[in-house]
Amino acid sequence: MKQLSTFLLSILAFANAGAQNLNRFPKPDFESGYQYPDAHYALPNEQLWLVIDIILLVGLMSFVAWAVIKKQTRKPIIWVSIISVAYFGFFRSGCVCSIGSIQNVALAFVDSSYAIPLSVFLFFILPIVFAFLFGRVFCAGVCPFGALQELVNIRNYRLSKSVTAVLEVIPWLYLIFAILYAVTRTSFIICLYDPFIGIFRLGGDFGLILFGVVLLIASVFTGRPFCRFICPYGALLSLFSKVSIWKIQITKQACINCELCHNACPVDAIKPPYENKTKEERLQGVKRLIMYFIFLPLMIGASGYVMHYASPGLSKAHKDVKLYNMLVEQEANPQVLIPIELEAFYSLGGEIHQLKQEVDQVKAKFEFYSLIAGLFIGLVLGLALIKLSVKRSRKEYEIEHDDCVACGKCFSYCPKNTFIIPENLLQADETNNI
Amino acid sequence: MAMKEDKKIKSPIERRKFIKMLGTTVAGGSILATSGLMINKFVDGEADHYWQIDPQKCTHCGRCETHCVLSMSAVKCIHANKICGYCDLCGGYYRSNVKDLNTAAENLMCPTGAIQRKFVEDPYFEYTIDEDLCNGCAKCVKGCTAFGNGSLYLQIKRDLCTDCNECEIAKVCPSDAISRVPLAQAYKLKD
Repeated sequence: MKQLSTFLLSILAFANAGAQNLNRFPKPDFESGYQYPDAHYALPNEQLWLVIDIILLVGLMSFVAWAVIKKQTRKPIIWVSIISVAYFGFFRSGCVCSIGSIQNVALAFVDSSYAIPLSVFLFFILPIVFAFLFGRVFCAGVCPFGALQELVNIRNYRLSKSVTAVLEVIPWLYLIFAILYAVTRTSFIICLYDPFIGIFRLGGDFGLILFGVVLLIASVFTGRPFCRFICPYGALLSLFSKVSIWKIQITKQACINCELCHNACPVDAIKPPYENKTKEERLQGVKRLIMYFIFLPLMIGASGYVMHYASPGLSKAHKDVKLYNMLVEQEANPQVLIPIELEAFYSLGGEIHQLKQEVDQVKAKFEFYSLIAGLFIGLVLGLALIKLSVKRSRKEYEIEHDDCVACGKCFSYCPKNTFIIPENLLQADETNNI
Repeated sequence: MAMKEDKKIKSPIERRKFIKMLGTTVAGGSILATSGLMINKFVDGEADHYWQIDPQKCTHCGRCETHCVLSMSAVKCIHANKICGYCDLCGGYYRSNVKDLNTAAENLMCPTGAIQRKFVEDPYFEYTIDEDLCNGCAKCVKGCTAFGNGSLYLQIKRDLCTDCNECEIAKVCPSDAISRVPLAQAYKLKD
């Protein structure tokens, strides 16, 4: 027995950790006519599922668009939500999703070696195209995350304006950081910190599932906290929704300023009438505009500088940089027990100067992209501040189309939609108004 | 106020409407531009889509078991019979330095008993992996690579993998062994 163990130990000392095809023992010649078992591995029909995904995505979005633009009803959206949570959420385990596809597209833009799968690109562009045509119909119920929050939503306690104003900046910052980490090939942080994926997969990181559950509980009391204050894709869609070609209307008839739709809106996208009483003079307005023009570039420049300054710190999240730092520490202060990463690095015959070159490239990339990210952060913060001081007068209840998620809740609350007024009465009413 | 109303009559389109049109054009243009730029990205051929382990790079660190998003990892041990030496004393089957060489559980490498052993003929034994039991811990792979022919290796099972946008194991893999492969190379196998 002792002999055996020494024999094994000697082999262990001889063997490297690398996993090459080692022919230590010759192929046996079987005399009993033994046949090698056939090796075949299950291949699900992945292409088919991808096609179904895309068809369903387009189909559901068209259905929602028809419901909110043409029919002005909410019922189909509930069905779409249930289908989406069941199929995109639980059945397809929520991957790939449009929110995460931002990162693939961003990476494909800057890295020519990265080949983006067609399905991922379609997941990215189709909801944007639909947002450009009909508003955020994707958010309404096709997105499993939005649908899940929508389905549990019961009450709409409104958050105060100041809190909302601060929280609304988060999606933009999240978007910028996600793109920064994607283009530097560090990590896909949107996928990494996805709060709902653990719920859809019925398992995962405990902290994230807890976060997802907290978000879901919050969305019982206030509409869609994830969509409004976290979702980076929603931020992107809001740009297109704002200028969309066909827009959602609360009612096709004249507004009677009854406030019911405003109370019903889960995402606070319906703004009450507002009369700007403090009329400012033209000169004052021009002065304010000039102030903005000075303030915004200052803000952009400052934040660009800060991010550029912070880029070495940001680059520490990159795998190569982490490994390099570990190596430097190990070389300076050798330890007997080394981490798995270093073990792998040494056993695969890695060269430290080669790694250093790669790390330098990564750091250079980080310096450049952090600067750009900083400029955008400045722009976002600056515009958010400017938006706070801009007052726009409204005569009636209006939808802010960038915030509207096309959930269709306002339709049934509008008395003008519920009571069908006879044609002749309506005409008389209109003539009276004029 | 009077001036403003005057202007409205004079200009063919209002200011707000003009800005909105401008926005629409920019938005539409950017959609077209993005699509146009992306088209030659996937016209070239099949894109890499499916996560696979390169068995030549794998250092069997054991993170595949713990870091997969699935509660039972999609990484399983695969046995390449054509490389296997069919040894009686198998480095992937038995633990090293065991007291008695029998098939009692405390002597076996696999913590879940997923490796099955069948007598073929003297002195050869056939080893097969029960995939339902395998948890991808790589203990047997380590043993087989250290003492044997390296016929046991880890691979991501395509029917189990949820095909995450970014593979959690790929991110923590110490030797960068996990990458995406095109559909045509369904499995990276050792043969």
